[in-house]
Amino acid sequence: MLSTAIFVPLLGALALLLAPRLDERSARRLALAVAAVPLALMVVAWLAFDGDGGGGFELVESVRWIPTLGVGYKVGVDGVSLPLAAMTALLFVAAMAYPAEVQGRPRQYYAAFLLLESASLGVFLALDLFLFYVFFDVSLVGMYFLIAVWGHGDSQRSALKFFLYTLAGSLAMLLAILGLYLASEPRTFDMAALIDQQPLRGGGLRAGLVFLAFTVGLGVKTPIVPFHTWLPPAHVDAPAPASAILAGVLLKMGTYGFIRIVLSMMPDTFARYALPLAVVAVVSIVYGALVALAQTNLKRLVAYTSVNHMGYVILGVAAAAAASSSDPDAARLAINGATLEMVAHGLITGALFLLAGSVWSRAGTYELDRFGGLAGRAPAMTGAVMVTAFASLGLPGLAGFVAEFQVFAGAFAIYPVLAGIGLLGIVVTAALFLRMLQQVFLGPLPERWAAWPDLSRREVAALAPLVVLVVAIGVAPAWVLDVIDAATRPLVGR
Amino acid sequence: MAWLLLLVPLAGGSALLAVRARPGALLPGSVATMAATLAVGIWAAAAQPSATWRWGGGLTLGLDVEGLARVMVVLVPAVALPVVAYAAATVSDGLARLLALLSAFVGAMLLLVAAGDLVTLLVGWELVGACSWALIAHDWRDPERPRLAGQALLTTRTGDLGLVAAAAVAVGVAGTADYETLASLRGWPAQVVAGGLVLAAAAKSAQLPFSPWLFSAMAGPTPVSALLHSATMVAAGAYVLDRTVPLLPGASWMAAAVAVLGAATAVAGGVVASVQTDLKRALAASTSAQYGLILVAVGAGSTAAAGAHLVTHATFKALLFLGAGVALHAAGTLDLASLRLGRALPFAAATFAAGALALAGVPPLGAARSKEDILAAAGHASPWLAAAVVVAGFLSAVYAGRLALLAFGPGGPAAAHRPPAPAVRAALAALGAATVASAVLWLPGAGRVVEGAAGGRLFDAAAWELPASLATVALAALVVVGLARGGRLPSLGLPPGVQAGLAAWLGLPVAARRLVVDPVLAVSRRLASFDDRVVDAGVRLAGRVPVAASRALSWWSERSIDGVVHAVSGGTLLAAVASRQADERGVDRVVHAVSGATLLAAVASRQADERGIDRAVEDLARGTGAAGRSSRRLQSGLAHQYYVIVAAGLVATVAVAALGR
Repeated sequence: MLSTAIFVPLLGALALLLAPRLDERSARRLALAVAAVPLALMVVAWLAFDGDGGGGFELVESVRWIPTLGVGYKVGVDGVSLPLAAMTALLFVAAMAYPAEVQGRPRQYYAAFLLLESASLGVFLALDLFLFYVFFDVSLVGMYFLIAVWGHGDSQRSALKFFLYTLAGSLAMLLAILGLYLASEPRTFDMAALIDQQPLRGGGLRAGLVFLAFTVGLGVKTPIVPFHTWLPPAHVDAPAPASAILAGVLLKMGTYGFIRIVLSMMPDTFARYALPLAVVAVVSIVYGALVALAQTNLKRLVAYTSVNHMGYVILGVAAAAAASSSDPDAARLAINGATLEMVAHGLITGALFLLAGSVWSRAGTYELDRFGGLAGRAPAMTGAVMVTAFASLGLPGLAGFVAEFQVFAGAFAIYPVLAGIGLLGIVVTAALFLRMLQQVFLGPLPERWAAWPDLSRREVAALAPLVVLVVAIGVAPAWVLDVIDAATRPLVGR
Repeated sequence: MAWLLLLVPLAGGSALLAVRARPGALLPGSVATMAATLAVGIWAAAAQPSATWRWGGGLTLGLDVEGLARVMVVLVPAVALPVVAYAAATVSDGLARLLALLSAFVGAMLLLVAAGDLVTLLVGWELVGACSWALIAHDWRDPERPRLAGQALLTTRTGDLGLVAAAAVAVGVAGTADYETLASLRGWPAQVVAGGLVLAAAAKSAQLPFSPWLFSAMAGPTPVSALLHSATMVAAGAYVLDRTVPLLPGASWMAAAVAVLGAATAVAGGVVASVQTDLKRALAASTSAQYGLILVAVGAGSTAAAGAHLVTHATFKALLFLGAGVALHAAGTLDLASLRLGRALPFAAATFAAGALALAGVPPLGAARSKEDILAAAGHASPWLAAAVVVAGFLSAVYAGRLALLAFGPGGPAAAHRPPAPAVRAALAALGAATVASAVLWLPGAGRVVEGAAGGRLFDAAAWELPASLATVALAALVVVGLARGGRLPSLGLPPGVQAGLAAWLGLPVAARRLVVDPVLAVSRRLASFDDRVVDAGVRLAGRVPVAASRALSWWSERSIDGVVHAVSGGTLLAAVASRQADERGVDRVVHAVSGATLLAAVASRQADERGIDRAVEDLARGTGAAGRSSRRLQSGLAHQYYVIVAAGLVATVAVAALGR
């Protein structure tokens, strides 16, 4: 079932490329029909997931591949990957349903999306490090084409910057994976086996180097300061649906890797170096928020808040790593919060970037000071931006708060000073989102936007599920948290 | 069932939005919503229900109506009822939105007061703040008001960090943030929780140095001010201290800090209120001062006196704000030098006078009694605290008298062109009656009832205290009358510059801007430009290093993996690794399949991008063929060699991407 979810989009992409002639509408319909398959399968997987497997993987499918190297094709889910994969499947449907400027190449546009979806689901569902790595890199290719071909502004340059940076990151990660592999006995890329083996237990220089390589490799993707500089230009020049996927899904590959690989396979090394990583996380939180505050461009602003939010995730993961044996309760809070933050940020920022695309398609600019008073012209758009902006700044009743509060609750018990500094990020994000709402939607309406159209039916249909989930998780998070908790309890209780 | 406290006003608010097309339904609808909420509140006060909501991950939210919460669940909807009636009768633009938000505001406040733990409290706390933002920005088309709303919310949200920290520490350290659990905290967690709660309460209750946000909040419509200053929002800070100070013996400094903070704000707020030239601003400054007195009571150990003054203040402050709204409606200005509406609006003048007498602390009104209870508690704790309360009492009597005379005194126009609507009169009458009826607090045995309802105890007054209070009120009356005789009531005989400086919260907003806001913005701009420079440096680095590295690498591996350096598609790399397994024919087939697929991709992407990418893909396709041939030579059987190839391939991808641009 999971393999079907991964490969149906790939087949769909091929079909779109091979199809002789399709107009935009039919191409989109075909792509949406294809993307509906993994979404439906994720719902089925969610229902089939029982979570009582003691933290083990469920719905596992495996095929012999290169046994002499210990490489296998193996996919499955646990409580960390299932919510992420489900969020991914949903976000792809929303992104593909969103209106886009396909620039006369609809088949290629949707094919690139489906290729990217296939790779993204593969990253979260892979249970083999080699397979994980392959999907991780293929995702770069898909995103590169989406930005370079369908972006605006200086999109080629931005796409190249994105590609170079993150590829350099995945090279570091590859070396780390190989380091882990060479330390395993018997040698294997199988994640479950590596989690059992704990290959680099006991530390030493080699464990430290592997940890460093993982931190750099995954940190570039996440991104953490100072490896974040590829992010803003990529976002600004990417088409909005690609931005939504980049922020919503691709960034999570980095943080997911920290949990799935580093925290699970080398927890003692992680515990030793957790403090510096937590410091970096807090720097990301405060720095990301402060730099976002100074932005005058809507998309850059949202992009920098991603740096801030990924900082919360890394802070949670690092705190959990530091205390997984000394204070398992606090570690569980932190890791649950971090995992939920990934899902919440995917939904919230995905929706925010889609909405930024709606602004672009109507105005052709992201400069905040060119707007004003749109609330009267576009109540639906205003409402959607308000809900997502308040969710992003952590208003209770919306998904972001649930996640951030748990991260801070766990982090305060483990790194009280760092958590206290990180709190400053909350008030700065509030300042920047309030200013954004006020500049764009409130105040007098400039003459030139007198005919500003509200969200179209298609835009509403794509955004509605995201917004509804943001509220649903915010009000009643138990149904997600219990799934996450099933995987994290054994992870930190060791 | 306890969740009805939240759900009834939310449902009512949604219903009001649904019927917004029928303006006639809004007044009865909003009054019915608040009446239903009041009924739920009365039930909750009697039944003391509790409820839980499983959050997941081991956390649970809970409601627990006990202690001062029993008073608040009645007080909040009871004050809101006349206020929404007033709103429905006076506001025309966006009325349905205003009433729906007021209902949500009340629901959030009820969630806050009924919370049984700090996390639930935090949820209500933040929702109250967000609602206040939307309410203050009600006239959102105005160029200034949305900015002022943001200022108000940011000030309180800065303090909210304290509550986030308090709740997070309690949950992180003790596993739960129930009020009872707080008592078991010791060491640094107790200090953080105590400090966080004081910070959050100081911001919400407009204590020093956060007081000026109430001036920004004036941008909202009058009913918003009336509700925000009386029973919701500002009351939240005092409420939470009332509930938690007795629970935190682990932080012994907390009570003293609260008392000192309250006393300082009570005196400073009194000065600021006395010199205002704007009616609503004067009332706003007096709100800070009155909540300062409530904090004195909490700090001095009398949560009962605090609770009593919370109730009496809520009643008369809502009344005074509605009176100010009537004045604004009639005269079109709030400038204290040009109102004197006593003859034009006798009914409003009479109710405003009742509120002003309560504010001044004149017996037998109930507010005078609750102020005496605070003085008794302060005297019990420290003579200095008692002295501060007496000074604050003198100031409140001065500004109450000044406001009453300037706003509704004689000497103005004989008739108003816009007399108040029936619903407005009813609202004023209800709040005025409640203010007068609070005189029951002077009855013997009333103290016992207050102690039972609000929780905690009242202290016996020292013999000198009541006479001293009466003397200060009399002295204040003499001062006001003297000023009025000399015609100096508006200016107080102060030079305009001095008066304006004092009135602008003693320069606090300017200080906040210079010391906090401007530096933060400057740092943020510096960081942003620094970040941009780093971007450029990063790009240069990312562009050069891999290119140089790939050149070095291709020189080093010229003979063996030259072909592979060009082969950069992930599929090809897989094929190279996979081919270890396959026999010669298998390899051929895989390679052909891969290169075939790549060619297809190349054809497709030629359409996709004519300028740069196209060529790169064609190169890829050609390279794939070469890779297929060379990969057969590479089957040395040594695993590590393949890792080198994989790594080299990646570096080469960087190179191709960089050069092929």
